[in-house]
Amino acid sequence: MIHSKADRIYQIVIHIIVIAIVVSAIFPLIYVLGMSLTGQTEMMERNYFVIIPHEPTLSSYERILSSPLIWKSFFVSVFRSAAGTLLMLALTVVGAYVLSVRTLPGRSVMLFLVLGTILFNAGLIPTYLVVKKLGFVDSIWVLILLYLVDSFGLLVIKIFIENLPDGLIEAGKIDGAGDIQMLLRVVVPLAAPALAAIGLFSIVFHWNSWFDAMVYLNNASLFPMQLILKNMLTAASGDMMSTFLSNTAGVTPESMKMATVIVGTLPILLVYPFLQKHFVKGVYLGAVKG
Amino acid sequence: MPKAKQNLLSNAAVPVRKPLPPAYGKQIMEPYKPKHGLRHRILQHRTLYLLFIPVFAYFVLFKYWPIAMAWIVAFKELQLGSGVFDSPWVGLQNFRDIFGSPDIPNVIRNTIEISLLRLLFGFFPPILLAIMFHDMVTRRLKKWLQTFVYIPHFFSWVIVFGVVFGFFSVGAGFVNNMLDALGFARHEFLLDANWFRPILIGSALWKEVGWSTIIYLAALATVDAQLYEAAVLDGAGPLKRIRYITLPSIMPVVTFVLCINLGFLLNAGGEQVLLFYNDAVMDRADIIDTWVYREGLARLQFSIAAAVGLFQSVIGLALVVICNAFAKKISGRGIW
Repeated sequence: MIHSKADRIYQIVIHIIVIAIVVSAIFPLIYVLGMSLTGQTEMMERNYFVIIPHEPTLSSYERILSSPLIWKSFFVSVFRSAAGTLLMLALTVVGAYVLSVRTLPGRSVMLFLVLGTILFNAGLIPTYLVVKKLGFVDSIWVLILLYLVDSFGLLVIKIFIENLPDGLIEAGKIDGAGDIQMLLRVVVPLAAPALAAIGLFSIVFHWNSWFDAMVYLNNASLFPMQLILKNMLTAASGDMMSTFLSNTAGVTPESMKMATVIVGTLPILLVYPFLQKHFVKGVYLGAVKG
Repeated sequence: MPKAKQNLLSNAAVPVRKPLPPAYGKQIMEPYKPKHGLRHRILQHRTLYLLFIPVFAYFVLFKYWPIAMAWIVAFKELQLGSGVFDSPWVGLQNFRDIFGSPDIPNVIRNTIEISLLRLLFGFFPPILLAIMFHDMVTRRLKKWLQTFVYIPHFFSWVIVFGVVFGFFSVGAGFVNNMLDALGFARHEFLLDANWFRPILIGSALWKEVGWSTIIYLAALATVDAQLYEAAVLDGAGPLKRIRYITLPSIMPVVTFVLCINLGFLLNAGGEQVLLFYNDAVMDRADIIDTWVYREGLARLQFSIAAAVGLFQSVIGLALVVICNAFAKKISGRGIW
């Protein structure tokens, strides 16, 4: 779309602005990475101002990854992301299918039940009191049960099923497929892209959550990774960090903290390039249908 | 046209002839007329009800029971050791205590101020960035830049806090190192009440500015390219094209996003504030979510904290309903 001098100037200006924004989105990460790779001696020599270390060292990472607590929390996070997402998808697609059947008596009441949870939030304390009453305080299942159905995703998938060509469901009915077969053989394969998008967002949500664990869990061996990282980052000094890590000599608390940040982002950065397209599609789905 | 259609459906005096089955496309949806009794229909759908049981159980246990709990606990004085049942009803006493207490007015003011500041500084940058992405002619470069600018969205607030610490800490933060190198004094940004809000909002913008463009880009993807070509033929420059084509095309989405944001006026981002604040900045930083967390779970003032949470939810619901009606009126597109 370059037709005039004004267009050319406009293109140059927006390229400069956008590149500046992208650089400022990425630069902090480079700085964090540089700090995390700097040893104590170099840090002292260069007065803590290191962007690219001259003698990069992995000792901060060795310290962090030698902590059993980190590994335990890593597996807790993997568990809650995997189990939480799979169970959520199963219940959400079942709910969506049931509510897409127009002839179901009581359907509008059930729909209202779903919509109501999007509009009204019970709040932290009442939810905590109920979880406590149900006996799920200090159980890892609370991190999964609290998000067992994605109400918004359910409505999106319900509309998706309703918009399927009428013939598909009818043909299944004529072939004598029951509701469960219909769900497994027709609805799930056809709704797979929508389910994948909702599942991806759920994985990221679970991976990044820490507040729920802080509220409902007391036992540190059940903490997900982000909560352990949070405790390490907000520890006021190096002394506090040594309660998490056996030996902090040779590296500064600063590089330990920065290495913590990198450890927390690495899993996401590793999968992001492959999944980016699907994430963007997921937002389109929500934007168009919602 | 719509008028004729309406007559056909509603005018009972005129016998409506069944339309011929359409040869192509979807069948016209007729209102569902039950052929059997209710009992028969319920039995017919029994598998569906059975399938719905786990979903129903989830909503009852983890959504509606807590909602009922919120309305009960807020009007009781819940004591430690005794259950919700045994605790005495106290009417509006909790609410009187809240609004009589010295903290809460300040906490509510902080919440609204921080929310509005987030809206003021966080709302327009993604729109501008989306317009720029939309107009960029370098397709491959644009794709790469988009890929990079989305990345911070996928980080947790814990990680964002770590990055902010790396940037603003006194001893090793990039900003302080730059100040030092340029001959200025180092500054405790993270312990300065005047810097709390700029850092909070700036880091949220850093995290979300790229990702928030997607919803606008989705709207722009549906704009007919011929409109732009026609505008060029009419002699419209790049800014005129934004003014007369791009902006009108995203206006419905803009109102929609604005509406959702206003609904969250009393939720100023509890997770982020909880990580970022400290005693030195508490006065300007404490918001409803953090106050409820401390008062309710650390000091076990369940009733007071639940009452504040209820107040927050009711106002939030009212705001969403009002904004939705407003958005429907001016843009024809609501949330529901």
